[in-house]
Amino acid sequence: MTSFFDIVLGGVFHAAVLFLVAAGLQLVFGVQKIVNLACGSFYALGAYFGISAVNWAIAAGVPPALFLPVLVLSGILLGAIGPFIEALLLTVYKRDEAFQLLLTFALVLMFQDVLRYFWGANPQQLGDIATQYGKIVVGTLQVPTYNVLVILASIAIALGIGAFLQKTNFGRILRATAENREMALALGVNVRVMYASVFTLGTMLGTVGGALVVPTAAASLDMPVELVVEAFAVVVIGGLGSMRGALVGALIVGLMRAAAISWYAELEMLAIYLVVIVVLVFRPAGLFGKAVE
Amino acid sequence: MLAIQNLAVDIQGSLILRGISLEVGPGELVCLVGRNGAGKTTTFRTIMGYLRPVSGTIGFRDKSLVNLPTYRIAQLGVGYSPEESQVFADLTVAENIELPTWTRKGGRPAKERIDLAYDIFPKLRQYAHRDGDQLSGGERKMVSIARALALDPQLLLLDEPFEGLSPAIIPSIIGGIASIQKLGHGILMAESNVHHIPEFADRIYVLERGEIIYQGKPGDTYPPEVMKVVTGGA
Repeated sequence: MTSFFDIVLGGVFHAAVLFLVAAGLQLVFGVQKIVNLACGSFYALGAYFGISAVNWAIAAGVPPALFLPVLVLSGILLGAIGPFIEALLLTVYKRDEAFQLLLTFALVLMFQDVLRYFWGANPQQLGDIATQYGKIVVGTLQVPTYNVLVILASIAIALGIGAFLQKTNFGRILRATAENREMALALGVNVRVMYASVFTLGTMLGTVGGALVVPTAAASLDMPVELVVEAFAVVVIGGLGSMRGALVGALIVGLMRAAAISWYAELEMLAIYLVVIVVLVFRPAGLFGKAVE
Repeated sequence: MLAIQNLAVDIQGSLILRGISLEVGPGELVCLVGRNGAGKTTTFRTIMGYLRPVSGTIGFRDKSLVNLPTYRIAQLGVGYSPEESQVFADLTVAENIELPTWTRKGGRPAKERIDLAYDIFPKLRQYAHRDGDQLSGGERKMVSIARALALDPQLLLLDEPFEGLSPAIIPSIIGGIASIQKLGHGILMAESNVHHIPEFADRIYVLERGEIIYQGKPGDTYPPEVMKVVTGGA
């Protein structure tokens, strides 16, 4: 019973982080129609930067209870690189998808070197931050408080994005732009500003995701590619461009992965891709995707 | 207010507009008549800045629109309702109509602009909370025109506003256009059939193969070369 519970909790924790990155991917694709492979790099960058931020916070005498806010804040600050990266995409908006993928993949490679330059080739780890948050004990079940807080933070961010897209005028303009860019322009929407904002928001989701995960896992140079592969599985299962799809896809991938690791670790990636294949066969547009027009 | 001179537009190597000139004054309803492929939509898309002309000028209230980005042209006060209406399916009718008040601030207060848009097509009030994809063709057209009006434009571009609509709904669209004109907005409207032109139009231009071949007042009789091209393809 305990072990099953641990698997579910581990899966949901992983899903919470994966959702953030996938949500960034979906947002950027939904509005800008670009599949941003570099979301994995933002995630890794967020993780490394998070380590530095917490180390700085420790040196400055910030109490451990505030490490989680420090991590979130570091992720949000790092999102400031978004507009600069988006400016690079200007060259490929009107070009073939192959160019767009090539450019964002080139970004992945370049960020790899940025990470190596600033943090070195060896994996980096934070000290035992997560355990300092203690455990929540319910009967015979023990839950690390940090993991619960991350799951709650991710849920809060998901609800926040939902409300932002549905209930604010900026969100409505964003949805209109995603649906019909030309018409949005003719109604006075400055699409350049929209693109830069969306991309920055997408970047922040990735960097915050990376920052949140780093107290529980080492940051390494393998992170970007590993995460892109998983985030792709999430959006294929959930449907490209759909936020709800990102949520459900992240839960499926997170739980499958946790289950595979604990029962038969060799199946970790295979299990995820079996789901991807089943979805592609029976619902090619994904669970919540709209068929491409 | 709108003054186009010698406008030439090339799309992928073929000259679609060959030096057209036309004018729309404040409060005028001007019709651009021509069959499909004559260049009506190209004219509108060039005014809106989607297409760049090879030569010629587009003046709007003493400013040149050539080389301005589309959103700036909209913000200067040019409202556009395209042939396919292009109502946002993901937004409600109310959100569609309010959107231009978020992107173009200043001028009249948002509420006044929105009320005015609904006054032109009062039927839309009862659909305000429907999504854009739950409307008939005629309702979509009304939303599209009302939305362009909510931008508070001095000039409205209506691309074939009756195309594909059931005859029952056309009178209410014509009524809406008449009220918009009475408010003092200039309107440039495209139409493929000369018989569908509202009798209160101030001027018509007949466009054929990218050239203006006739200009005059709407009436019952037109020169034979005009009748040949603009009676709905018959």
